[in-house]
Amino acid sequence: MEYSFLSLLKKDFKMMLSSKFLLLIIGSLVLYSLYINLVYIKTDQAIYPVYLFDPAESIENASSQIIRVDNMEELQLRTSDGYAVGIDATGAEPKIIMVASGLDSSDQIRTAYALSLLSPGQSTPAEVIGQNSKEMKSRREITSEFLFFELAAVGFLGLASTLFKEKHMGVIRIHGVMPISKSLFIFSKLILFLLADLVFAFLLTVINLGLATGLSVLPAILVQTVILSIIMALVGFFCAVWLPDFRQFSLLYLVLAIFITTPVFLVGQTSITWNWINYHPMYHLFMAIKNAYFEMPIGETVYYIVCVVFIVALFLVAHKTLTREMAKEG
Amino acid sequence: MIEVKDLIFSYGKDKQALHGIDFTVGKGEIFGFLGPNGSGKSTTQKILTGILKGHNGHVSLFGKDITNSYNKEFFKNIGVLFEYPYLYANLSGLDNLNYFASFYPKEQRQDIEVLLDRLAFKKDYIKKPVSSYSKGMRQRVSMARALMTSPKLLFLDEPTSGLDPAGAVLFRNIIEEERKKGTTVFLTTHNMLDADLLCDRVAFIVNGNIAVIDTPKNLKIQNSNQKIVIDYMLNGKRENKIIEASELKQGILFPHDEIISIHSQEPSLEDVFIQYTGRGLS
Repeated sequence: MEYSFLSLLKKDFKMMLSSKFLLLIIGSLVLYSLYINLVYIKTDQAIYPVYLFDPAESIENASSQIIRVDNMEELQLRTSDGYAVGIDATGAEPKIIMVASGLDSSDQIRTAYALSLLSPGQSTPAEVIGQNSKEMKSRREITSEFLFFELAAVGFLGLASTLFKEKHMGVIRIHGVMPISKSLFIFSKLILFLLADLVFAFLLTVINLGLATGLSVLPAILVQTVILSIIMALVGFFCAVWLPDFRQFSLLYLVLAIFITTPVFLVGQTSITWNWINYHPMYHLFMAIKNAYFEMPIGETVYYIVCVVFIVALFLVAHKTLTREMAKEG
Repeated sequence: MIEVKDLIFSYGKDKQALHGIDFTVGKGEIFGFLGPNGSGKSTTQKILTGILKGHNGHVSLFGKDITNSYNKEFFKNIGVLFEYPYLYANLSGLDNLNYFASFYPKEQRQDIEVLLDRLAFKKDYIKKPVSSYSKGMRQRVSMARALMTSPKLLFLDEPTSGLDPAGAVLFRNIIEEERKKGTTVFLTTHNMLDADLLCDRVAFIVNGNIAVIDTPKNLKIQNSNQKIVIDYMLNGKRENKIIEASELKQGILFPHDEIISIHSQEPSLEDVFIQYTGRGLS
């Protein structure tokens, strides 16, 4: 049995190589890392520039972040971009001059920020919690997103495309009349794609968080990688065996990628709040990966129980679908 | 070797594929299972090979009821050649065979290269990917896959499909050799020549029912019109005459100068099939 399993692994590895899946994940790793290091951590938008027109120099304690201008025309010119904020201090009370952003809450924040710079010592400093620098926070955030995307979308596609090849060649049916367990047929693919995903998660984390930080968060990340990788591989397995051709699979893939992953990203990474997202299984898997990157507590026991039950159910469905496929006509 | 009694199978509620068929296949017998598309041939073979479950009736292979005997031991004893040469196109023929052989005990496996040689496989291609093979070469590798574990029971579905005439003769000889070794062969085919030349007995299946089971020879004799066609020359002119077979006992009594040929009007197996089923095979 052990020898049979090794044969399956060897064959699946050859299939994986011929499908160029390894090249795809190496390419993804390089692309994600280049983007994180060369683009993402450097794209933080500067805070609203604040310009002050104060010909009488009545405001003495203004913050050094305020840029003084010489006349009203210049003030209006500098604030015409819809982002900068101007302060006209020619009257008794300073007046805010700016082009509205279109979002009332955003304009109020701009106003409050500009006024706070007129008397910088008076604001209460915020308590700093945690040790993440802005850059490290960005690194953890974007790395968790890329890992989630890779496992949920790319890994899923990788296993399915390999299986579609086998299905197209008709060889799955041969396994139905051989002394081999269908479970082993599924396991060998799961193990191979899981290993690829674990190596990917390890490299992505260490490259983008650094060795020390990366290694400290890695155990929790690898646990979440195992869970998501197995779930997505089984979903990919089921879809590839169940659907008749790759065209239908592509459509389903599009639905999965856009309509399932997008709300998860929106709620997980922005201030958008939807209560229904708690019923979205991918949201919990995404948050578990994100929390792992931020060294936050991950899920409760019930989360892991649900994951295991879900994996077992998916495995049984995949097994049944495989049995049906083996009985189909050539 | 195979015993089937009142076998019924349905795909869903309204699609009954087999309506209670009965047949037996003895050890070392080549049994032909003939029928047009959609007649129930593949369904029967899938039930016998354990791919399809949920039948009614009694089916036993190797003396055991199959319901509970589809295990690794069972699959070690059968070899299956599918209608199409299913192989890993990215692997070579040799890698394909080594991979499939790895699921069987070493003592059961034949030397793959010797087997391919026996099947007249071009040696230059043995390590080339299957994607570069012709259909005949793929069929040879598939046949090697079915034979390489020395099965006691062989299921062959259109074994000579995609082969040139010489290849078809070679395959028929190999099947005959396997039978001589004691292998039982369950042959599913549209090819009447294969069935006629190879099978000890054939069953005609149509619409999920077996119309008749007998030896090809008996079927042809039973359905012969017992006529003889004689070609002859008379006064420099070629003529022919049809007489009853029994008349031949008295000799050729009509006037003639020279007999050119004497042909019995024995029907072909396909004629017999059409006679029993009212349908052609294709």
